[in-house]
Amino acid sequence: MPLLVCKNVTKRFGGLVAVDDMSFTVKHGEMMAIVGPNGAGKTTMFNLINGVFPADEGTIHFEGVDVTGFPAFKRAHLGMGRTFQIPRPFSSATVQENIAIGAMFGSAGSEISVDEAMDVADHYIGLIGLSGHRDKPAGGLTPIEKKLVEIARALAMKPKLLLMDEAMAGMNPRDIDEMVAFIKKIRETEGIAIVAMVEHIMRAVAGLAERVIVMHQGALLVDEPTKEALTDPRVIEVYLGQPAEEFDA
Amino acid sequence: MMKRTHKYFPILPVLVAYGALLGYGLFFPGKWQLVSQLAFYCTLGQAFNLFMGMTGYVDFGYVAFMGVGTYGMAISIYHLNEKGLGLSIILIGLSLAVAFSIILSLAVGAVALRLRGAYFAIATIGVNEGFRFLIEGARIWNGSEGIIFTRHMKKAFGKPAAMAIGTFWADIMMFGVAVLAAVLTLVYMRNKVGYALTALREDEDAAKVMGINVTKYKIIAFITSAALAGLLGATAWALKLQYVYPTDVFEIHYTVEAIIIVLLGGAGTLLGPIVGGLIYGISKYYLSIVLPGFQLLIFAPLIVAIIVLFPEGTVGILKKKVINTPLQKFII
Repeated sequence: MPLLVCKNVTKRFGGLVAVDDMSFTVKHGEMMAIVGPNGAGKTTMFNLINGVFPADEGTIHFEGVDVTGFPAFKRAHLGMGRTFQIPRPFSSATVQENIAIGAMFGSAGSEISVDEAMDVADHYIGLIGLSGHRDKPAGGLTPIEKKLVEIARALAMKPKLLLMDEAMAGMNPRDIDEMVAFIKKIRETEGIAIVAMVEHIMRAVAGLAERVIVMHQGALLVDEPTKEALTDPRVIEVYLGQPAEEFDA
Repeated sequence: MMKRTHKYFPILPVLVAYGALLGYGLFFPGKWQLVSQLAFYCTLGQAFNLFMGMTGYVDFGYVAFMGVGTYGMAISIYHLNEKGLGLSIILIGLSLAVAFSIILSLAVGAVALRLRGAYFAIATIGVNEGFRFLIEGARIWNGSEGIIFTRHMKKAFGKPAAMAIGTFWADIMMFGVAVLAAVLTLVYMRNKVGYALTALREDEDAAKVMGINVTKYKIIAFITSAALAGLLGATAWALKLQYVYPTDVFEIHYTVEAIIIVLLGGAGTLLGPIVGGLIYGISKYYLSIVLPGFQLLIFAPLIVAIIVLFPEGTVGILKKKVINTPLQKFII
């Protein structure tokens, strides 16, 4: 059984069709990227998957359960984790508390005590290498540290699917390579499926994903293995436009 | 790991503060009215903080919970004084106060807690006004004539006991409400409720995505805070004054005072309401002696300045100062 099945998912904001009849699946443990130019509907698609707002049409199944009508917190309990494009840590809480909150309310939430959640948090603080900042309020961290805290917080939820929203926006090439290596590592150690959303950093897509979904104007343009997708003429056209001679014709 | 046994240490400074205030009042009987007034502000802050401080939502209708709590106690004494129940009437009154405030908080919360931030605040402004008009207009609980139950108190408990309740025991019970509010705040802070509230106060959408049922936790904080307000009304107003008029108890002024106290002391901190209540109460008391009639004129800009310059409040600043010192485990 696939982990996530989206079938004919559509979302409209007034007259604008932000997500248009999207259908795709994600397998257990898969590493997939959703790419597309600015405004293609990627973030809206993410919000529909994890229930920030409901879909107007279509269905979403997670591990065979129809979650289309579920609120975000219930989907989180089933095993959906999420990071945001601009990190949103709970600023006044410490790094440890931030990550512990993920453990407390995530998929293991009902069985885990506050103290156990703090231990889980310590484990992930070690993983992201921020042990020195454990008791500092998360609001005072650098943007990259906040991003790492957010990833750790999502991992502490013990998700089966991690949705990463623009994990690498605004980073320099060296940081991108480090982040790609880090994401690959956590995917192996945690054994989870990761869907990463990338706007235009193809360096990251190529290094990271096995499969790529390209969105264009809210609709699915391409769903192919990474290599084919990145050389697909339709994808190049979306990003770079048509070659000049075709305009003459 | 090891420091987790110290989780509940911060209750100590709270108990010391209330103990010192109570001791001062017992030692200097001439100052009992001041002490009672200060304890009222601290309790008000403590109860209000449990919702406003922990969720970041400002409830402008908060005083309505105190109002219905006052009525709960008043009705109990007014109707049951001849049944020979003795002091258990007070227990019935307290239960009724809690029941009334919880029912009202469920009704208000079911509608208003669906709204965010400023919209919630605006929606709640109408609550106490609306409730006052309902009581007056529909002539519920004697309408605008209120309930005067001094006579009934005497009938139920005897004259000396009724006097002693009004002048002394009502205040002692109010101290009890203050400590109860502080204990509940700390217990919430140290359990999942508190972490959920922190998360939703900081970023409600992110909290939902983390698996937090934000509505559930907001309602828990709202009901708890309302029930404490009901108890405060039942003790500090009903038992102490032994009358209740709708215009007195549904007065938005008290909600504003609660907001000031919480912000002065530090929203979402445990000690903040005590510090805020003392600062507010003492300055109000002395300003009214030094410059009678002008206290609000002086106080208003002072409060604006403090809130603009120190948004974290006194305890919020103190908390930062004691990081990595032995005091850290006591001050939150």
